[in-house]
Amino acid sequence: MIRALSRLAVRIPLLIWSFIVVFPLIWMFIGAFKTNAEIFASPWALPQKLNFHNFVSAWSDYSIGSAFANSLFVTLLGTLLCLAFSIPTAYALERLRFKGSEILLNTYLASMMIPSVLGWIPLFFLLLKFNMLDNLWALSLIYAVSHIPFTIFILISFMGNVPKELEEAAAIDGMTPYGILFKIVTPLVKSGIITASILNAISFWNEYFMALILLQEDSKNTLGVAMDLLKTNAQYESAWGVLFAGLCIAVIPVIIFYSIFQRHIVKGMTEGAIK
Amino acid sequence: MVQSKKQKYLFLSFCLLPTFIVFCIFTVYPMLGGLYFSFFDWSGTSSVKEFIGLDNYKQLLNDSVIPKAILNDYFFVFVKVFGIMILSLFFAVALTQLRIKEAPFYRIVFFFPNIMSVVVIGILWQFIYDPNIGIVNSLLKAIGLEQWAKPWLGDMTWALPSIAIPAIWAGIGLFMLLLMGGITSISKSLYEAAEIDGASEWQQFWKITVPLIWPQIKTSIIYIVITSLNGSFVLVQVMTGGGPGIATEVLGSYLYQRAFEDFKFGYGAAIGVLILVISLLTVIILQFILKKEKVEY
Repeated sequence: MIRALSRLAVRIPLLIWSFIVVFPLIWMFIGAFKTNAEIFASPWALPQKLNFHNFVSAWSDYSIGSAFANSLFVTLLGTLLCLAFSIPTAYALERLRFKGSEILLNTYLASMMIPSVLGWIPLFFLLLKFNMLDNLWALSLIYAVSHIPFTIFILISFMGNVPKELEEAAAIDGMTPYGILFKIVTPLVKSGIITASILNAISFWNEYFMALILLQEDSKNTLGVAMDLLKTNAQYESAWGVLFAGLCIAVIPVIIFYSIFQRHIVKGMTEGAIK
Repeated sequence: MVQSKKQKYLFLSFCLLPTFIVFCIFTVYPMLGGLYFSFFDWSGTSSVKEFIGLDNYKQLLNDSVIPKAILNDYFFVFVKVFGIMILSLFFAVALTQLRIKEAPFYRIVFFFPNIMSVVVIGILWQFIYDPNIGIVNSLLKAIGLEQWAKPWLGDMTWALPSIAIPAIWAGIGLFMLLLMGGITSISKSLYEAAEIDGASEWQQFWKITVPLIWPQIKTSIIYIVITSLNGSFVLVQVMTGGGPGIATEVLGSYLYQRAFEDFKFGYGAAIGVLILVISLLTVIILQFILKKEKVEY
């Protein structure tokens, strides 16, 4: 009886927090369908009729559409590049003993502690010098490099679980080390690759400040920068509905992506990654 | 393995070199460059870069914004560490140990803010606080507390706590998952034994759960501190830009404004070094405070 009551008591804070998390999102979603007059009339009321005008306007008039495409580009390219750089290094650090491997690993890990703000000014001038400002390929590369240490960290913990005998057997059969790395080890750490890539992709999709500094033309903006710009414009023009529609466009893909892959995120968080 | 030394080194270089080179160019060089630039007076344009030694640092000491910004940074650190740890520990225990049927639902929902961009969170909450169209004031009005309604982000005293709330809102899910991972790996027999000995649930929490997930608690606290000192300026920059006045200014947003809005790149770099020093010192001190013998039963 007391247990049942206490379980009921525990549900109250859980329900309240769910409400605090979900309500702003619902409010944002409903706002995206409202006209300005409706938004000012009451924040609680539902829209009179379902119209998608705000979405169309955000997508084309406020260049959220092109920003969406740009974000998709840097997210995909950044995630792939990050894997290409991290898988071989993680393998070498985990499996091949060599002089300095400890130092190299610690260098990568220590760099995660250093605030990235410190590097932004030199990074800006480095890209300026090589004419790579305003370049989505360069931004993808920088995203990829910024997540190399984290990705190595996750992949190493997964590679530690691959039985050494498999590699030894393949080597006896005459497979080259390159073959062992790409045909044996890489497929076996698939779940580590997926976990790291999901987390990387979500942070690249959401990144804002480096894009703000390193991109200049409006046509190159990624979603974060375009949203901030849309906010400024919306404040001048009181285009609140359009702003809410823009927020929805930025959030909905991640929520769908997360719902599909959430098992992997939970697994990566609780098992391999952080101990 | 039959392979020559040369082949072995070739393979090692294939694995390590390309990664290390891009890492040096885009991570190591910018960080060392940040240190180097902090000794120059530099507006970023052309070749006018004058070595001024420690002058930027002297200016830091006399800049009245800096102490306020440091204080605000630590305000975020404290509020976030306590807010996030208390709530996520409570939720983690509730969802793992009280056999709640719909636990996966809460686990998924609580993580939602973690996958959202800080810009989106910042903009969304800016309008939640908006005096005209926001829900906070309209909620206060609805429950008859109209006199409490205010332009939250424009208020000298309330702006800072108003930014801290979305920061906590966005942080719970991740740390709850981390702590849940720790709690589920505790052997059930420990709790059964404690139950037989007549230990209350409260005692079980303090004597079993907390000591055994101490490593996860420690990791979470350190992680919150680092990300707060290095990253809470994004929310500040999006929501208030440091205002009203300098009420919500933190070091990161001040760096951005001085460097990329006022083009004082040398001074901005010096602020960057200050952020580095402060976060390293804080983490070292924290390691001492949180040091505790590993418990095993």
